[in-house]
Amino acid sequence: MAAKLTSPGWYRALLYTVVGIAFTLGMSAGLRAIFNLDPVYSWQSWVTIALLMTPLFFLAGIGCFDYWWRWARGRKVVDDHADHGAHSWRDYFKVNTDHKVIGIQYICVSFFFMFVGGLMAMLVRAELAQPGRQFVDANTYNGLFSIHATLLIFLFVIPVFAGIANYVLPLMIGAPDMAFPRLNALSFWMLPLAGIMMLLSFLAPGGSFAAGWTAYAPLSVHQPMGATFFTVAVQFAGASSIATALNFLVTIITMRAPGMTFFRMPLLVWANFSTSLLVVIATPFIAASQFMVLLDRALGFNFFNPAGGGDVLMYQHVFWFYSHPAVYIMMLPGFGIISEVLATRARKPIFGYRMMAFSLLAIVVLGFTVWAHHMFVSGMQNWIRIPMMITTAIIAIPTGIKIFSWVATLWRGVLKMDTPMLWAVGFITMFTLGGISGVMLAMVPLDIHVSDTYFIVAHIHYVLFGGSMFTIFAGIYFWFPKMTGRMYNERLGKLHFWLTFVFFNLTFAPMHLIGVQGMPRRVYDYAQEFATWNLIISLSSFVLGLSSLIFLYNMIASWRGGTRAVANPWRSLTIEWQVSSPPPIFNFDAIPSVVGGPYEYGVPGAVHAVFKGAEVPSPVPAGAETSPTPATEH
Amino acid sequence: MGEDTRRGPVTGRMWVTLIAIGLVASAIGIALGLSLRWFPAQGSTIAHKIDTFWDVLIIVSVPIFVGVVTMVLFSIWRWRQRPGEELLDGPPIHGNTKLEVVWTTIPTIIIAGLCAYATVLLLDIQNAPAKGTRVINVTGQQFAWTFSTVENGKKIQTNELYVPVGEPINFKVRSLDVIHDFWVPEWRLKVDAVPGITTGYALTPSKVGNYQVVCAELCGLGHAFMRANVHVLPAAKYAAWVQKVTTPVGAAAVGAASNGSASVDTIGKQLFVAGNPSTGTLACGTCHTMKAAGTSSATGPNLDKFVAQDPASAIREMIVNPNKEIATGFAKGVMPVNIGKTLNKQQIDALTAYIYKSVHRR
Amino acid sequence: MEAAAIPAAVAHDDHHHGPPIANRSSKVEPEVLGILLFIISELMLFGAFFAAYFFIRVVAKTDWPPHGALPVEVAATNAVILLSSSLTMHWTDVSAKRGNTYAMRVGIVTTFLLGSTFLFIQINEYLSLGFNPTTNASASIFFGLTGLHGAHVVIGLLLLFMSAVRIFKGKVGPDHHKGLEVPGIYWHFVDAMWIIVFTTIYVL
Ligand SMILES: [Cu+2]
Ligand SMILES: [Cu+2]
Repeated sequence: MAAKLTSPGWYRALLYTVVGIAFTLGMSAGLRAIFNLDPVYSWQSWVTIALLMTPLFFLAGIGCFDYWWRWARGRKVVDDHADHGAHSWRDYFKVNTDHKVIGIQYICVSFFFMFVGGLMAMLVRAELAQPGRQFVDANTYNGLFSIHATLLIFLFVIPVFAGIANYVLPLMIGAPDMAFPRLNALSFWMLPLAGIMMLLSFLAPGGSFAAGWTAYAPLSVHQPMGATFFTVAVQFAGASSIATALNFLVTIITMRAPGMTFFRMPLLVWANFSTSLLVVIATPFIAASQFMVLLDRALGFNFFNPAGGGDVLMYQHVFWFYSHPAVYIMMLPGFGIISEVLATRARKPIFGYRMMAFSLLAIVVLGFTVWAHHMFVSGMQNWIRIPMMITTAIIAIPTGIKIFSWVATLWRGVLKMDTPMLWAVGFITMFTLGGISGVMLAMVPLDIHVSDTYFIVAHIHYVLFGGSMFTIFAGIYFWFPKMTGRMYNERLGKLHFWLTFVFFNLTFAPMHLIGVQGMPRRVYDYAQEFATWNLIISLSSFVLGLSSLIFLYNMIASWRGGTRAVANPWRSLTIEWQVSSPPPIFNFDAIPSVVGGPYEYGVPGAVHAVFKGAEVPSPVPAGAETSPTPATEH
Repeated sequence: MGEDTRRGPVTGRMWVTLIAIGLVASAIGIALGLSLRWFPAQGSTIAHKIDTFWDVLIIVSVPIFVGVVTMVLFSIWRWRQRPGEELLDGPPIHGNTKLEVVWTTIPTIIIAGLCAYATVLLLDIQNAPAKGTRVINVTGQQFAWTFSTVENGKKIQTNELYVPVGEPINFKVRSLDVIHDFWVPEWRLKVDAVPGITTGYALTPSKVGNYQVVCAELCGLGHAFMRANVHVLPAAKYAAWVQKVTTPVGAAAVGAASNGSASVDTIGKQLFVAGNPSTGTLACGTCHTMKAAGTSSATGPNLDKFVAQDPASAIREMIVNPNKEIATGFAKGVMPVNIGKTLNKQQIDALTAYIYKSVHRR
Repeated sequence: MEAAAIPAAVAHDDHHHGPPIANRSSKVEPEVLGILLFIISELMLFGAFFAAYFFIRVVAKTDWPPHGALPVEVAATNAVILLSSSLTMHWTDVSAKRGNTYAMRVGIVTTFLLGSTFLFIQINEYLSLGFNPTTNASASIFFGLTGLHGAHVVIGLLLLFMSAVRIFKGKVGPDHHKGLEVPGIYWHFVDAMWIIVFTTIYVL
């Protein structure tokens, strides 16, 4: 037992957490006593301190800092790779430095929060099924939609992309791991802590955090204790996201295989490169905005207190300077996934590869010039609106290039319409709709009428569900064989797609209409005239929710008992498919050399990468791959 | 269809069919989009301009969406992998500069056109109001609106908005606590009420009728109920309304409460219906139904039912301490807690007595 | 036309050895690139607080300075102290690369002490300002920016302390000085940041 308490792991994490809380609270009480102040001050300050400090002690206990601590003390540090790779399911619950293990940890944790957040959406829709009060009171309702959005944005879409990229990106560029494996582990472990903190806010006196995911000041400053949970949790989610992005950038820049020039990188790598730039530059802004709210809340600062000379609109400027780029943080990795899936399943090179890469970079740059389009009715100076409208509309051009290029990639291909491809094609159509309503919203005169209505709710769900979520499903099905070494069930996959596709549209399309008709968002009661549509929406959303259970079942059942996957079931050219499924513990015996583009389908004899030790590739007749690569067991 | 022709290039005839399908589908889509009743009634002089802009957006958008979907569905129909084609690859087409130039240029032109249209429209609708335009001050607070204006040199303050039809109005919007948003959907304009600054817009109501102010910015527990009635009146009726509310019964009565000269009943009723604007006390009738006072809102409990059995002391407690006990079906924290503090003792007594008497009338 | 499928036997022979050495596709060291990217992030964090400063002072036109005159001379002294600590840091770095152990040790200790002096003076200034963050929004952003910078000085000092420990344990030399170089870059950033904070808060 003593050994368990001193070596990294859950027991020590628990011990450190308890001791840590006691220590920090004792310290604050002691210091206050020394300065002749009331040692307790207020229970709110105790909770705030505990929220800020507990995660650090937990992280230390579970073992995120052991290596660095030894290094900092000048001790000898040997990397024996003891915490690299998973040998049993238990290893997924430990600090692990293997990017593949961390990838799976990321994906599983974020899907857990997706289901929790989705459940909250179901409760929201149950409440809205009819006008008037149904199940929950206003406070709970406001909490439900706030936490629904917060979880799905900060704990699902952003980290699940980081998870998928964590798994496949190092393999794709021929790297044995990420550049900073321990930092990678730390980024992951901050995530569940942030998520749990968000959920715990439901237990806070005065109810959960309930100011919407945008947490506009001064409402968020005046809210009860639950808001502090959000404010602090966002710091951890943000730190996690910055650390991962930094890791991706360094990995991509310094660890590409020989011959892997920037224009030979798969577009998923390009997409994550662009996304990581956005994260590193933009995320500090949301950290700052929440720091300021926290300072106003906890220490009586006046950032957002007009009586003290504070500026309320400043919050929105700082917040959206992150949160607009955040919509691309939540979309660009999906663009990358779609490019991978389409090229492989259409058996054609990506149409206009270079333009695809450049349009990603264009979106990164333009993404920083449009934040105030969320503030057209905020009462800011009127003149800002027109330049912001124009820059916003311009983003439609690189986005349009991407959509048209994907369609052109389909043209004359040999389209294998399996599950990943269905999601990809579904994405193209649904994202086009979301993009169109986005251009409409950029148009100030219209936005004045529809902002803060259900039109906005419809738009963001078309881009984040029809957009990001569809790409996530495409990616999960696509790389499932690589990650698990098993095939998923194709019939269930298709059923999942069709149910989701149909009921997604039935749920969110009518919201455009009721929004323009005048139903504001974030209300738990509404006028009688919207009753019929809301009932239809609620019923559809329940089926939409249920359809995700098919996915869950398919994933669990296939992981446990699916047919064994060959190394390269999709006959893909990119490197991650050239190693076994799942890949060897250190990815490669020797780093492969890249000799061509990643999508040279249809070019006779084309090869993307060659492996030392492997036979020199002769122009294999198409289909040599179907001679079964021995199923690999780990 | 034979293997070769199907995998071969798209024939001219096929292009014609494809374009025809796209055009027909677009036409149907546009017709459908335009026939839906999207907007609420056109209640201001700018409403039809925004509605027309929306129609233009529909006409531009539908063909783009239809185009993408048509191409995708056509590709799937014609080139999906059929049995025996498992090992087939498509042609290695890497791109086509001309095509890429086209699909960069056309959206650019569309975007430029829309932005130009929107800019002209925006400058039109946000035209600065002429000097001397009637000013109405709109003040939001959790969770009610207060409107004040000056007519014939007298200040009028109400919790419902009264405006004359056909006359431009300059709304000056403020907030006392958190951000709210002043929106009348029929008028099409909205702006946030931001603590610390004054925002606003000017417009001309063009249609007589009763509408609602809808708060469009999440402001807390009572956000969904933060509504206020809007009465757009013909000029004559508006003048009559002004005449009625400026007759010095109400305001004087409340002010006189401290001297004890006005009847307790008058003070109570006045507080219930109009609140006490000078100290920021909201009118009870903004949220509560009570027959005797002629109010009919459903934001809070119906007093004729809810307090009908209660003694005066209990009613007083509910006014001063609203969160102590909550009626089933209603949320805690919605009723302002400052009523007990913004009224003096006589005023609270008067209000309590008035409510007690009114609900126990039978 | 398939890529060279790696024979399973080759791909699979693991457990007995570590990972292959990664290819180095850039001249920049990963650690240096990492800290530079981190500094970009930090710059943006400061940027957000400068945005707040701009909105409060310029847009909302809140009175500046928050209360009476700010002690410019003290802050200027502090700027000189931090700048000289940057010089000693550089000297430490150079000495490490040259293998001059003694100079390296003197350098890191001097740098650390200069940094601590800055912090000491800063805290004293806080206590004698005559206003606190709750006074008004200008005071909030004054404490916000200088406090944020102070927090970075603390982080920088922690990193320097680690370097010092490693230096005194003989872990830093001409061949392995990454543990000194990377904290050094961060320290230069902290110093440069003070010049910007000093200019906007005290001079403008
Ligand atoms: Cu945006
Ligand atoms: Cu509201």
